[in-house]
Amino acid sequence: QQIQEDLNKQLFDNLVSFLRRSHSEFREKTTEWTFRMKSREIPTAALVLGVNVTDHDLTFRSLSEVLQDNITPYIALLEAKDCPGIKNLMQKLMGQLMNCYIDVDSLEDEDHVQVSHNRIRCSMTSIISWYQNVTKKTDSETPSKKRTSSSRHWQSPPVVVILKDMESFTTKVLQDFIVISSQHIHELPLVLIFGIATSPMIIHSLLPHSVSSLLCIELFQSLSCKEHLSTIIDKLLLTAQFPFKLGEKVLQVLINIFLYHDFSVQNFIKGFQLCIVEHFCSQPLSVLCCPLVDAKKRVNSLSHGQCENIRRLPSFRRYVENQVSEKQILLLTADNFLKEITQKLLEDLHVYHENYVSVLRCLHVFTSSLPKYPLGKQIRELHCACLENQVWETEEYESSLQLARMLNKSDLVTMLQQCVEIFVSSSGKEFDKTVEKLKEFLTQFQELEAEALQERDGSVSAQKELQKKTDLYHLQKTLLELKESRRSKKLTKFEMLRIEVVDYIDSLVRTYLVPADHKTLHEIVYFNTASVLRGHLNAAPRVALHTALNNPYCYLKNQALKSDGGNISNKAPDICIVYKLHLECGRLINLVDWLEAFATVVTAVEGPNADAASLDQVDDIIHARFIRAVSELELLGFIKPSKQKTDHVARLTWGGC
Amino acid sequence: TLAKKVKEDKMSNLVEEYFEAHSSSKVLTSDRTLQKLQRRLNQQTLHDLLKKAPLAYAAEIKELNQQHESLFSKWMLHLHWGFNIVLYGLGSKRDLLEKFRTSVLQDSVHLVINGYFPSITVRAILNSITEEVLDHTGTFHSPLDHLEFIVKRFKEDSSLELYVLIHNLDSQMLRGERSQQILAQLSSLPNIYLIASIDHINAPLMWDQAKLSLYNWLWYETTTFSPYVEETSYENSLLVQQSGSLALSSVTHVLRSLTLNARGIFRLLARYQLEHKDNPSYPGLSFQDFYQQCREAFLVNSDLTLRAQLTEFKDHKLIRAKRGGDGVEYLLIPVDDSTLTDFLEKEDEDV
Repeated sequence: QQIQEDLNKQLFDNLVSFLRRSHSEFREKTTEWTFRMKSREIPTAALVLGVNVTDHDLTFRSLSEVLQDNITPYIALLEAKDCPGIKNLMQKLMGQLMNCYIDVDSLEDEDHVQVSHNRIRCSMTSIISWYQNVTKKTDSETPSKKRTSSSRHWQSPPVVVILKDMESFTTKVLQDFIVISSQHIHELPLVLIFGIATSPMIIHSLLPHSVSSLLCIELFQSLSCKEHLSTIIDKLLLTAQFPFKLGEKVLQVLINIFLYHDFSVQNFIKGFQLCIVEHFCSQPLSVLCCPLVDAKKRVNSLSHGQCENIRRLPSFRRYVENQVSEKQILLLTADNFLKEITQKLLEDLHVYHENYVSVLRCLHVFTSSLPKYPLGKQIRELHCACLENQVWETEEYESSLQLARMLNKSDLVTMLQQCVEIFVSSSGKEFDKTVEKLKEFLTQFQELEAEALQERDGSVSAQKELQKKTDLYHLQKTLLELKESRRSKKLTKFEMLRIEVVDYIDSLVRTYLVPADHKTLHEIVYFNTASVLRGHLNAAPRVALHTALNNPYCYLKNQALKSDGGNISNKAPDICIVYKLHLECGRLINLVDWLEAFATVVTAVEGPNADAASLDQVDDIIHARFIRAVSELELLGFIKPSKQKTDHVARLTWGGC
Repeated sequence: TLAKKVKEDKMSNLVEEYFEAHSSSKVLTSDRTLQKLQRRLNQQTLHDLLKKAPLAYAAEIKELNQQHESLFSKWMLHLHWGFNIVLYGLGSKRDLLEKFRTSVLQDSVHLVINGYFPSITVRAILNSITEEVLDHTGTFHSPLDHLEFIVKRFKEDSSLELYVLIHNLDSQMLRGERSQQILAQLSSLPNIYLIASIDHINAPLMWDQAKLSLYNWLWYETTTFSPYVEETSYENSLLVQQSGSLALSSVTHVLRSLTLNARGIFRLLARYQLEHKDNPSYPGLSFQDFYQQCREAFLVNSDLTLRAQLTEFKDHKLIRAKRGGDGVEYLLIPVDDSTLTDFLEKEDEDV
């Protein structure tokens, strides 16, 4: 569990630092702008943030931090759910401003604390008087009491109000607030920041012209969530230092949830977190999933049972089968030998990851520039393809190689240079040779270039010769010769070289991008049970209900319930029978007929041995059971009572589900 | 692609069928009503009868439950990792949650909320947190303030831990947007662990992205097949005699407590109404006629006593007065005819 916590912390640190970085530029812009805008009417910044509302919290928090550090101590962050009316809005605003002030000032002015508690009289005038008080105080006190350096520059620092979710505010509240604050803009320098999830058009549809003309809006665009995703994948999955890895299917599920459902980076991270938890819970050998140095230590302290676990791993079995027989015996019996081998294997795995990442990036450099992107545009697609199976066996890879063989020189050279950079920066040791080889290629290309210049000179001279001889016959003859030579021309040096390069890359791919499944002991670091993940994150309650009602055998393992779908088995639980009967009806269901049908089905089971005397009794019980089943269906939302016709219920679902 | 095409065809057929079925307002069902049944059950007898009826497949259901119970430790782990757990699937999850509570949460502070209880409110939930867990007595202006206070307390004191179990998060009372918002914010606190169950097929529609991320759900399928006993006991079924129109038992109860003359007055009105039950335009008995008849039967001696008596009936919702087009007051008993017949028969036996 300690490891898990470490991992998680690492993960979050990575993430947060990344998010901070990605927003910093954007924030800089905004802060700069707030700085500038101070003197105008109501300056408003509209931040277009995209539909992934859940990720915006962090953005706003860091934005307000930056603002607080650089410009003004007065920041209020309003959320639509806190402000159903203008009164609540003002209360919230005032409370936050005063708290903000106290936060920044950090000297405890008792009367201020009291004011913030007393929320009953929260009006614009009280805010203004408070503001003037504060500014007067700061104005008078600035020389003596050194406040934050930036606020010293200001006679009156602006008050920033951030409206987090513009779309969910009530139009009236928003309009009122803007109108009111525009009235007081001279006494209270206000700056509004809108967080917009959809598009800037929403400002115009929410606010009428008379109100929006009071604003001076500038638009800011944030990074799209897809870019976030690719950076996160880059940072989390495509590094060697992070020991935990995702299998292909799991990654696919996570990416699908992201791209097809919510675009939320937070949910992606949540899924990733769940993967970590699941992995460390379900896989007994996951203790070894940690940095290499620790892992080696832990291997030494493994118990016998854990060694047995290693032996049971399918990938390890495969490994054993490929060994000579004496070694096999040793591996299967001697724990110490096993530990030694395990250490070696773990090291192999580690090296494999390091190499994998750089070769993958290299391949990505090549494939991402090809027309039509046969292997995908993003590196994540390439990653998935490589994890899925041997990438060089796929058609897409074949076609991309063919395309690569037709690249022109300048592209090829830049790509090679990029590859060299990647290899140089990668920590793997084996790439010295590769780098050398690639550099050699590059120098050859430069040579080629020089040669090409000379050649061109030669051809120019040949053409000059052509121009000299104006004899028609000769001209024709030389032209034909030229053509002939071109057709039968052997490959130029450049083309040869090109082929050589591509082949080399190909060989690199073949050696280093072996899918993880083929590696020994991959189970330790790869989490690959996608079904668990999908069940927990992307559940389908309706499907579960449907199968339970339609086919109770899935859950209740009783032979009597086994049936070939469609027909109503009379031994099923009551609610299933009632459900099946209700499926056969249209929009409205007559309760009496329904009850009768139910009774017929049920008595078919009990019929033979029910004597006439107790029939009445049986009928009552059946009636009661029917009532129970129907009210259960009502609770589940399949039917509702209808007023259209007496004693009818309306179906709320359609078709078979 | 052939299979795909077939599927598409099927889909479009389905869509067309849907609109066909919903286009005409005419519905083809038989006209039989529940009146034709010999007798209707009331809540009590229903309960007794169901107790007698054996539960089918008890063994299998038990096995199923054991499967779910084996996951308890995993639930705890996930809860501590900051996830909240939501249970879905057919069957009541009440017993399962109870089991979880008694076996795992025995020693920790926990709060059980019966969402199916028809008068539960978010305010009550918040109150129970502040009063029982935080030992704070005091009232708040609005649930938002209340929530803010709780959040503040939980953030200040990291030793506070609270497990919240909600049966039927999707019940009538809690499914509103505002209550869900508050519950979501509550559940997003790191020290509050939420386990909830949902039953309604459209329950996930309650949550938008923001709420989902606050809830941080982890879905668990727990199909139990056990009957919804508690949950449906508050549900007024159509088949059970309804409280919307007066039940026979309530009529008799009220009348038992009245004087003999008052009962006579009511019986007179009931009989008169039954005589005219086949006349669809029957407006009720006018007050003047009624007074006349009561006088003749020596049930009242003055206009005033009858009026006093009628007010008493009106208070118990036994009769309804309606002003006709000619300004005359007509009196009606708002009970269906069969109940009235039953009532009269019973009265005749008694008398």
